[in-house]
Amino acid sequence: MMCSEREAQLNEYVDGMLAAEARALVETHLAVCAGCREAVAELRALVDGARGLPRAIEPTSELWTGIAGRIGKGERGKGKRWWRGALAAAAALIMGFAIYRLLPSSAVFYGPEVDGWAAAQIDYARATDELAGALALERDRLEPSTVALLERNLGVIDAALRESRDALTRDPGNVELRALFAAAARQKVELLRWATRAAT
Amino acid sequence: MTRHIAWLGLVLALSTRSTAQAPPSRVNTIGERWPFAADGSVRIVNPLGRIRVIGWDVDSLAVGARGPGRLAAAGTAGVRTLVVTGRAELEVRVPRGARVWVKSVSADIDVVGVDGTLDLNSVTGAIHVVGTPADVTAETMGGPVELAGGTGRARVKTVSGGILLRGASVDLGASTLSGTIVVRAAGWQRGGTGVQRGKFESVTGDVRFDGELGRGGIVELESQSGAIALRVPGTTVADFDLLTIGGSVTNRLTADIAQRGALRFSTGAGGAQVTARSFKGSISVEAK
Repeated sequence: MMCSEREAQLNEYVDGMLAAEARALVETHLAVCAGCREAVAELRALVDGARGLPRAIEPTSELWTGIAGRIGKGERGKGKRWWRGALAAAAALIMGFAIYRLLPSSAVFYGPEVDGWAAAQIDYARATDELAGALALERDRLEPSTVALLERNLGVIDAALRESRDALTRDPGNVELRALFAAAARQKVELLRWATRAAT
Repeated sequence: MTRHIAWLGLVLALSTRSTAQAPPSRVNTIGERWPFAADGSVRIVNPLGRIRVIGWDVDSLAVGARGPGRLAAAGTAGVRTLVVTGRAELEVRVPRGARVWVKSVSADIDVVGVDGTLDLNSVTGAIHVVGTPADVTAETMGGPVELAGGTGRARVKTVSGGILLRGASVDLGASTLSGTIVVRAAGWQRGGTGVQRGKFESVTGDVRFDGELGRGGIVELESQSGAIALRVPGTTVADFDLLTIGGSVTNRLTADIAQRGALRFSTGAGGAQVTARSFKGSISVEAK
């Protein structure tokens, strides 16, 4: 079992984010700790797996037909909520992947990947729409004051995203701007996920 | 016969009237106690009202509840679940080392003197923690969060509520959309180690770090439009990397001057690493 206090450090070790001195300390620890060695192997497998993911995840047409059919019938009940939960989870997964791609990778620092960036923004916009749609179906379950709070803060985050996007239009290769845009996008993801969870 | 019917009608009318005027539900007061493991896990759900969790040096779990809501309790000496339906003022005493999970809608959550792991979640309630829990996760959409005393690790998220982190903590993470983040981190001389790892993110809220950095620690501060202010001891050894795209950088710690919103300087080798990024907020650094 991994030493819990080293979780963050091991993640950074696998990501190659540690300074030489800290890296050497981790390697010294790994030499004597089988649990942490195993955790590092799992993290590396996860990172390798993430690299192999497709650029976009398209839901099957059958899935969408089924969901659209159920939503169209205006059914209410546990089954429907389950589908909405699944929809929210799928949107969150896609969004998580999009945000992962929005974050500046080491490659971005050496050469901008404009195509990947554009694709990530499309993924993000689509996933945000899906999650917002799932939330819209359940918003009547939230307290009016919570809905007001949600709308106010969605306005705040949308304004921040607009500003970042405008700045990126003027300076598309700016890595710092991308990182700030990704951070704001992540905040919106968190807000929508939170509200969806509170509603269901 | 007619008189009997009239009396019956009067009685029925009066009983209907008294039912209509009665309070929606009566106030219940409940007190229960169970044997409980020193590192047991307790899950508490109380949507409305208040939740107070107190750590004590006794291997038992005690709950006192007052309010119109109904309390249901189930579990063993290792895991127990307390669920309130409706509104209640809930006071739960747990062994200090217990793991505590709390969920509320608008109920405020107070935790005092628990050293175990805390996972606290509310939609609009406030969250206050006093003590030295090993690990804290606290999330509230509309309420504020305050941690006082210090933790091994804390992850705090709000949407609009302010976040105040006080005490000697090692690993801190705080994120808010429109709230303010204030970190007052004590250091070595007060028994702490200084912040070893800190990540503080806001969109429009200000971020203020007022504390001591652990040797070799990594602290990141980020905002979209909120101001970022750093106050550290004048003797701090750290590498500072400050950048704002549309704001200004003010350095009162050293003589180094920012150029076009960017400033990198070091106060010595082998110290902490401090990174601050903002889209259009100002960034300032000064000595305490």
